[in-house]
Amino acid sequence: MKPCNGSGSGPWVRWWWLRFWQLWSLALLIARPGLFVNKCPFFKVLMTRINSQTWSSQSIASRWQHQFFYLAIRLGGRRLAYAFTYPVVCYYMLFRPGLRKRTRHYLRRRFPDHKGLAAFRDSFRLSLSFAKILVDRAIVGIAGPESMDVRFDSMEKIQDLLDHGSGLILMNAHVGCWQAAMSSIHMLDTPVNLLMKREHGDVDRHYHEHRGMPCPYKIIDPDGFLGGAVEIVQALQRGEIISVMGDRVFGNDKNKLKIPFMGETAEFPVGAYKIAAITGAPVAVLFSRKTGINSYALELAGIIRVNPEQDRGLENLRPYVLEFAGLLEGYVQLHPYQFYNFHDMWENQRTEAGKH
Amino acid sequence: MTFKEKVKHTLVNELNLEDVQPQDILNDAPLFGEGLGLDSLDAVELVVIVQKHFGVEIANMEEGKTAFQSINSLCTFIQERNPQ
Repeated sequence: MKPCNGSGSGPWVRWWWLRFWQLWSLALLIARPGLFVNKCPFFKVLMTRINSQTWSSQSIASRWQHQFFYLAIRLGGRRLAYAFTYPVVCYYMLFRPGLRKRTRHYLRRRFPDHKGLAAFRDSFRLSLSFAKILVDRAIVGIAGPESMDVRFDSMEKIQDLLDHGSGLILMNAHVGCWQAAMSSIHMLDTPVNLLMKREHGDVDRHYHEHRGMPCPYKIIDPDGFLGGAVEIVQALQRGEIISVMGDRVFGNDKNKLKIPFMGETAEFPVGAYKIAAITGAPVAVLFSRKTGINSYALELAGIIRVNPEQDRGLENLRPYVLEFAGLLEGYVQLHPYQFYNFHDMWENQRTEAGKH
Repeated sequence: MTFKEKVKHTLVNELNLEDVQPQDILNDAPLFGEGLGLDSLDAVELVVIVQKHFGVEIANMEEGKTAFQSINSLCTFIQERNPQ
């Protein structure tokens, strides 16, 4: 290393040199963890402590890998964190075939003609896009919501729906970055309740958790007492927003329907439509998408009004689920690499077909 | 008709419980899961039914836990808050 002669530049050189070694060490730790864990007593202790934590991660990456990206964002900003996503995604694509397989449930139906290298490229693009979304989510948390440019042209329509006083069911899907959507929705004065199942041991932080901010929305756990029924009704009756995901059936939820989606039959949850029928709340379908390196657009894809007078049997809710599935299919046709539902929505249908 | 019978009739009619007669519902049987077999979406409806038909608001989860154990607990809950 060249010694520092200038009295003014010395501290800066030392600072950058220290940051360089921190990042280099972390990069090496990601690429060759065995070097550290097996030979260095410090990392033996560190990894033992990490592994001894009682929770097991439901996230794809482990806690320290998330921490690495948070550190990269703090030290080098978005571009540095994005740069690290390429080797990480390469690693997952090449050495974790199980994860690559999870991208194929959707991609196989979106690009049925893509085989071999083209299919691999699709998986890579989707995973890379997802990794960048996770980086963006962390950036919103670390640098604040103002660091992201979120365009939302339908705020007045949302306000109109809220003004009717029946509350609003905001239906999202696993597209774009819903945290960006949420940070924008907070411009409204209406409280937001998020119906969200947080896996025990999830290690990736929500955006507000980075700066120790109070949670900007109330989380209703669908695994709580009676699926959070009381809280949902009370929130809607207070004229608040309930935010749900419309493209994922959790656990053994019986309230689901099989709906044509991307050429096959997939399962969609119907709970939100039934709640809409009971409470009279309108359903606003809101999708987000990444439009630039630090910009997102929120689109009000449609408003679903469920008839409260009709019989609320599952079959009577089919038209509304079909409407949502149609809107979602339209989205994935336009933005094929921004659909991050890695769950096999078509699985049960295939299993049943195999039985016959 | 007793108050409990009225509650049972309301539940059967409003929740569209096919193949269930009001007199089949046991007073101390659980409403959810085993017993009457209601699920979480029925609970959403039940909160609204209790409010609409009996004028009683279930304000939070704790009250829900107390009220939604059985017909007995539901009737007690309603009558405590709305003696009429």
